[in-house]
Amino acid sequence: MFTRILAHVHKELLLLLRDRTGLLLVYVMPIFLVSVMAVVQDAPFRDFSDKQVRVLFKDLDGGPVGEAVQRGLEATGSFTITSGQALDEVEFRERVRRGEHQIGVVVPANATEAVAARSEGTMALLFDPLTGDRTAIPAADSAAVLMVVDPAVKHVFRELVRSSLVRVLAGISSERLLADMRVRLEAINGDTLPPIALGGPFVGIDQQLAARELTGSKVASDTTAHNVPAWTIFAMFFTVVLLAGNMVKERTAGCMVRLLTMPGTVAERLIGRITAYLMVCLTQLAILLSVGHWVLPLFGLPPLRFGPPEDLLLLVLAALFIGLAATSFGVLVGSFSRTQQQSAILGSTAVVIMSAIGGIWVPLYIMPGPMQVIGRISPLNWSMEAFNVVMLRQGDLAELVMYLIPLALFAAACLLVSIVAERVVSSR
Amino acid sequence: MIAPDIRVEGLVKRYRNGGRPALNGMDLQVMPGEFFGLLGPNGAGKTTMISILTGVLAPSEGRVLVRGLDVVKEPGRVHRLIGFVPQEIALYDTLTARENLRYFGRLHGLSTAMLGERAEALLVRTGLQDRADEQVRHWSGGMRRRLNIVVALLHAPPILFLDEPTVGIDIQSRAAIWDLLHEVNAGGTTVLYTSHHLEEAERLCTRVVVMDDGRSVGELSTTRGGGHERLEDAFLRLTGRQLRD
Repeated sequence: MFTRILAHVHKELLLLLRDRTGLLLVYVMPIFLVSVMAVVQDAPFRDFSDKQVRVLFKDLDGGPVGEAVQRGLEATGSFTITSGQALDEVEFRERVRRGEHQIGVVVPANATEAVAARSEGTMALLFDPLTGDRTAIPAADSAAVLMVVDPAVKHVFRELVRSSLVRVLAGISSERLLADMRVRLEAINGDTLPPIALGGPFVGIDQQLAARELTGSKVASDTTAHNVPAWTIFAMFFTVVLLAGNMVKERTAGCMVRLLTMPGTVAERLIGRITAYLMVCLTQLAILLSVGHWVLPLFGLPPLRFGPPEDLLLLVLAALFIGLAATSFGVLVGSFSRTQQQSAILGSTAVVIMSAIGGIWVPLYIMPGPMQVIGRISPLNWSMEAFNVVMLRQGDLAELVMYLIPLALFAAACLLVSIVAERVVSSR
Repeated sequence: MIAPDIRVEGLVKRYRNGGRPALNGMDLQVMPGEFFGLLGPNGAGKTTMISILTGVLAPSEGRVLVRGLDVVKEPGRVHRLIGFVPQEIALYDTLTARENLRYFGRLHGLSTAMLGERAEALLVRTGLQDRADEQVRHWSGGMRRRLNIVVALLHAPPILFLDEPTVGIDIQSRAAIWDLLHEVNAGGTTVLYTSHHLEEAERLCTRVVVMDDGRSVGELSTTRGGGHERLEDAFLRLTGRQLRD
């Protein structure tokens, strides 16, 4: 039996080696896919720290508030600020509408005056509660910083600018309140007090990864960390097209009829075929991880980082189960297809759909709620989660097994149905 | 008394989507060392018959014994005794001839030494050895047909089944195949062969059964088998002159 399985494995590998188009599909296409998708998806994965939002800035105030707003936005490091000082209102809006700048910010002419009036009014109420005139404090909307938004800009960018403005304006207001309070106190005490500065929030923020941090890694997931495992899984499942096509070809060419009259079982043939394609999947993994580690940095992308050696063992284990699920699915498609065209269309369409809903194209957590639920029944999602457990979350075997079990059950179900289908066909 | 190598009893085959049965109560016996022909017009049921005899298809009724072994109940043991040449060229066309032979030989459990020896002998015998390291997709139809037969002979089976083994090839290749099959049969191998080439059957077979409409309509001796009537005349007498489209 073992000799026969080895013969099947050897034959499958020879057939694959002689199939140039198949080799392109299995090895070259995924390399391009990983590289292109990682580059394309680089921006959405970045943490907005690379001056990606282009802001057109106009200061009508000309006073300390206008300057402070500009300095505050620049200090965030999230924006590329261009001066729109010379532009009239129409041209200013037009440049944003055309998408030359994603957001336009206009500080109103009376901004410094409004801040001063509100601060002084507040001080008057605080220090002269009986004589202070509440009606003298201008309303909050007496001066408003204008945000002009490019209609094509994502909500997340708009919110980033807005929250930065809120933070900067809150800081300006607080500083002004402190300054006015100092003046009042100096008048009461007759002394000169040292300037008071806020210097940031009174309670800081300490951001940590839930898993141990990989060497040199500053973020939990970047475009490389998502796209390399994601498209490796896609490539593994895309071998379905080749595997199922070869099965159909074997049947239509008459080789299957000969095999049915020779010693050996359906199970031996399937094991041989699956073993050969598992080898293909493991070599795909090795190649694509190498691309992630050494090639993607050449495009200015972060390199794929690996954990300690025991994580690599878990990675290979995960890849074996993913490969098993992929090849078993290929056998299933091959069993039910009558022509090579059928197997190609059925196999590729099924893999593309399962990958789209399974979080390969974009992570599942940014999909709408119902899609997240549907996505969790995709074998490609279990595969993605298995890789994430090892590569990002540094999980252990117990955590990994939670995703390996459904993959194994999926593979078993595919094989069982395929064996039954082959027996039914031969009994007709 | 000598037991038949192949014994068919009351064989019926109904396809799920078919109306009439493809086989409708076939009985026959093939004795050891015979070159037995199964002849019939298109649609007579020859390929269905040989598919059941070799275990590719399951019968609806009846049974097939090969050297006393039930094909349905003991397919593994039967498959060790038989070689089968399907109507299609059942080869992997991107593998070389030697790679095809190595693969199929290993499935028969031949040792590396035995496999090498048998493969080379057969390649030489069929004149294929010079191009045996080329992918068979580059070969002519006649060469592929010869290799198709070589694969079935690789494990020296005592019983050989051939389903229209000379379809679509030139005269030279056909003559070479005839010589090879004569030689194999002369070596003691029982041969069961289907065809609608009466001239070929006349030269090769010692005995033929004519099938029509899923049944045996007559048994004939060929001139090789000592018969006196021309096979074509007997065939038309048994199956009629009506066209079978």
